[in-house]
Amino acid sequence: MALVKLKEFCIPDKPEQVDACVAKYGENALILAGGSFIHGLEARGLLSEVEALVDIRKLGFAGVTAAAGGLHIGAMTTFAQLEQLPELGSAPWLGALKDALTYPPMQIKNAATVGGCLAAACPFFDIPTALLALDCKLSTNKAGAKREMNLADLFSGLFENSLEPGELIIEAKLAKPAGRAASAFIKLEGTANDLAIVNAAAYIALDGSGQCQEARITLGGGVGDNVVRSSSAEQVLLGQKLTEELLQRAADAVGQDIQPMADHRASAAYRLAMAKVFTKRALSLALSRLN
Amino acid sequence: MTNLNVVGKSVLRQDAYEKVVGGKGFPVNISLPGMLHGKMLRSPYPHARILSIDTSRAEKLPGVKAVMTPKDVPQIIFNPIFFMPADSMAIHRDMLILSDTVRFAGQPVAAVAATTVAIAEQALSLIDVEYEELPAVFDPEDAMKEGAPEIHAGVKNNIRATPSFGAGDVEQGFKEADYVFEGTYETQRVHTCYMEPRVCVSDTDSSGHVTIYSSIAHLFGLRERLAYALGLPVSKVTAIQAPYTGGSFGSKLDLAYIEALSALLSAKTKKPVRLEHTRYEDFICNARHPMKVYLKTGVKKDGTITARYASTLCDTSAYSAHGPEVIMVHAYFGLMLGYRAPHTKWEGTVVYTNNMPGGAFRGYGAPQAAFAVESQIDEICEKLGFDPIEFRLKNTPRQGDPHPFNPEWKLGGYALDQCLTKGAERMGWSNRAKAGSASGTKKRGIGMAAHPIWVSGCVGFPDIYEHSGAIIRLNVDGTAYLSSATMDIGSGQNTTLCQIAAEELGLKFESVRMAPGNTDNLPFDAPTHASRVTYSSGNAVKVAAADAKKNLLEVAAIVMEANAADLEVRDGMITVKGAPAKAMSVADVVKRAESPFMVVGAQGPTPTTLKEKGTIMGISSVAPPANASPAVAEFVEVEVDTETGQVKVLRAVYAHDLGRVVNPAAAQGQVEGGLQQGIGYALMEQMLFDPETGACLTSDFLDYKMPTAVEMPSKIECIFIESNEPTGPYGAKSLSEACLIVPAPAIANAIYNAIGVRFHSLPITPEKILAALGKL
Ligand SMILES: Cc1cc2nc3c(=O)[nH]c(=O)nc-3n(C[C@H](O)[C@H](O)[C@H](O)COP(=O)(O)OP(=O)(O)OC[C@H]3O[C@@H](n4cnc5c(N)ncnc54)[C@H](O)[C@@H]3O)c2cc1C
Repeated sequence: MALVKLKEFCIPDKPEQVDACVAKYGENALILAGGSFIHGLEARGLLSEVEALVDIRKLGFAGVTAAAGGLHIGAMTTFAQLEQLPELGSAPWLGALKDALTYPPMQIKNAATVGGCLAAACPFFDIPTALLALDCKLSTNKAGAKREMNLADLFSGLFENSLEPGELIIEAKLAKPAGRAASAFIKLEGTANDLAIVNAAAYIALDGSGQCQEARITLGGGVGDNVVRSSSAEQVLLGQKLTEELLQRAADAVGQDIQPMADHRASAAYRLAMAKVFTKRALSLALSRLN
Repeated sequence: MTNLNVVGKSVLRQDAYEKVVGGKGFPVNISLPGMLHGKMLRSPYPHARILSIDTSRAEKLPGVKAVMTPKDVPQIIFNPIFFMPADSMAIHRDMLILSDTVRFAGQPVAAVAATTVAIAEQALSLIDVEYEELPAVFDPEDAMKEGAPEIHAGVKNNIRATPSFGAGDVEQGFKEADYVFEGTYETQRVHTCYMEPRVCVSDTDSSGHVTIYSSIAHLFGLRERLAYALGLPVSKVTAIQAPYTGGSFGSKLDLAYIEALSALLSAKTKKPVRLEHTRYEDFICNARHPMKVYLKTGVKKDGTITARYASTLCDTSAYSAHGPEVIMVHAYFGLMLGYRAPHTKWEGTVVYTNNMPGGAFRGYGAPQAAFAVESQIDEICEKLGFDPIEFRLKNTPRQGDPHPFNPEWKLGGYALDQCLTKGAERMGWSNRAKAGSASGTKKRGIGMAAHPIWVSGCVGFPDIYEHSGAIIRLNVDGTAYLSSATMDIGSGQNTTLCQIAAEELGLKFESVRMAPGNTDNLPFDAPTHASRVTYSSGNAVKVAAADAKKNLLEVAAIVMEANAADLEVRDGMITVKGAPAKAMSVADVVKRAESPFMVVGAQGPTPTTLKEKGTIMGISSVAPPANASPAVAEFVEVEVDTETGQVKVLRAVYAHDLGRVVNPAAAQGQVEGGLQQGIGYALMEQMLFDPETGACLTSDFLDYKMPTAVEMPSKIECIFIESNEPTGPYGAKSLSEACLIVPAPAIANAIYNAIGVRFHSLPITPEKILAALGKL
């Protein structure tokens, strides 16, 4: 039994109407973007308290502007639209996003939005792992009040975000790195139509002498309540020349920052081992993009 | 066989376009005026007694038209399998439509019919059931222990059956062996994952006559079993044939709760009632039986097998259903018949547990067996240095040998040797490296498995139906209607049967159409199972077509003033042999036969003869003369990632002697589908349950992983060998199930070749591989 209490399906075409609907139903109003995550919640009977769905697809916020300083991705941009962005093919620093976008099935790419995949705060998705490695910033809007936040601050628990009722993600922003930078993402999945058992993204930037001046390593897929950033692994790399051996040491260090879970899809031990393997592979792939 | 016009061609399926644009013929689309919607309330407990059920709150909900509890249904104990007589002595009856005792988590305990699905669902939450929980047992070995919960009253240690058989003196056989190999091989519970859910609509009239539409694989089985469970004579049930159904793979070969409940709810409400499974309900409806096989083989230095012993433990689950039958097919056609040995013995144990029901699944017990047999042969060859192809050639039968199941039959067309040698050649078997010798983190390996003896239907099996019927009627436009109770479950059965009819009649393929019927107007047919349709239904269709053709030519002979024996039909034209100018179309002959007695022509009304009058038809109802064995060998190449344990199947070469390829594209489809299910069985598919509550954890496709197109090898090569089976229509025998029997052991053997590690249980998950490599 799914949406048993549903009373209203709002399709606002102006942001103010969102506020009206949310004001009426409070916590029991649910924002609907592509619906691909919500559909799964519905199928599992997890939306029994929802009274109103607020479909935000007519509000705009779709499309990407490539500013000199980086990318501004509208929250309603679908994965399929994002995949068309020419920059993804040419900029090594966006490698992680490009890689992550190859995984979702076509039907999902056509429906899923960037805002939805972040707001879902689901650790098993791929795009958030990639965007966190790219140091993504968010703009939000609630009743005309705008807010800026780091993506990391959006995640406040398993399937929980820090948005207030009616607060919408409007934009995800990626700043272009100054120096030589590259990133990569890899996912471990049971089949091509699976959520991540483990995924890992790596972003590295080198200084003029070839030493690592910036590193971000992020992991998802049952290694924590949200996407995890591994500062221990990053510390191993900073200020160093990136050899295969060093990359391996960094990968081995992720164990200090993650809390792998056990379920019927994988044991904690397997997730831990794979977190290391996939971090190493993501690092090697990112490094290869710098050469 | 030369001069075949339609058989052997990849004709376009008649239902292809219909299906692509939505497939309105699927039973899931049946809707009748005034139809109500049913839902079942299911037990959260795996083992419980129902103390009371209070339906008063549910009954008051507006829109609810009927609620059923155990006291409202006939308490007739039945076995749900369609293909054995309902009162057969060979099966156990232990199920009720609704029972006071729950034996698996999810067993229905009550049902509702309401005006909408949503109201029916809501009504379920208003039914108050008081349960007395009973201790449950899920492991078949635990279930046999003293003191285990008693699942069915009076069944000691939950052991349902202990069949056995043998020949010679197996102890003596092992004494004669130079080497003895033994091992235990375990397989898991997997689901068929058909696309169309189980769904039915029943319409019970005021006289109590039930008309039912259902997504099943056996029309007459549904009629017989439903009538039995409801306590009705079979003539009070009419099962309507759907033009096609969305897959079965064996899962739609038994009565589901929905069919009996919809008939009863319809009787109570006097409205048609529809019930449709959710995917969760489909998952817990039935599944392949998990088995544990102990296998021991004695071998001489020269590679001759002297003795084979095996024992099998089969978890038949909460109900007997297929268990006692599947273990016999498993033992004979899976374990013992394929490889010769003078001394053999097999012992089986079928055990009740509180798990979800077991069912039929493509291969019916043989995939479990082949994993044991074909893995162990690989172990023997590895240890003793035999070439696996040579070893198999040495110990298997040849064309012309007596059939190992019934020596009164011969292996008429039989080319296992060619399957082995041609498959090996295509795969590049001679280049296979030594096991575990690959370097790098990603290691490749090649493996193979064979299945020497399998079935084309069930002739010779105790208490399993095996006859088919067909009706062919010719139309005045020169086309023919074929009717048969065979169910097309998506593999193209209708197309194949129309090809056979067209070939025999001398019509173009496009001129023959399958016309669906029902159990009131069709002759009996055994189910779409046991790889039987082409061989057995095909045989019946050919006989009916020959009958129709004989009648056609008799009329043609009168009209054409020729001798019937001198006439032939091709592409819808009847000609006199040797005098091709003298021709008449089939359409004109049929028109004449169907014409009024006096035909008005240019010369006014002229009488025709009575002899030529009447619809030209042919009918049959026959069993095939034997049970021809196909032969099969599959070769696969895999790549194992030794850092992650992931296995990729890179390439498959499948060699199969199917007697005659009736439709090459459909045949290739069978091989690809079998490989897909086989890869799932080998590497990932597994139904999992909460160890405390018995609740199914893998009841949707996020949690139950089956291979997608991406996991399939890009190269799947088929070698079809046409041995021209003398007892089959146009030389054809079977294909389907064997395609799924061999992939799992072939993949397991290829993994061994890649990394030098042998796995004795399925699925071979990345985690198992990594653990075996000592990396976890
Ligand atoms: C079969 C399947 C396969 C998948 N495979 C992958 C994969 O391989 N890789 C991967 O990364 N992901 C995968 N996903 C997950 C997919 O990425 C997410 O479901 C999707 O991104 C969610 O976006 P949506 O627009 O559909 O969100 P919705 O389902 O509409 O909403 C998701 C949540 O976000 C909230 N929300 C939506 N938009 C906003 C907004 N602008 N501001 C505030 N809150 C908002 C909603 O209220 C809801 O709580 C898969 C999903 C499915 C169903």
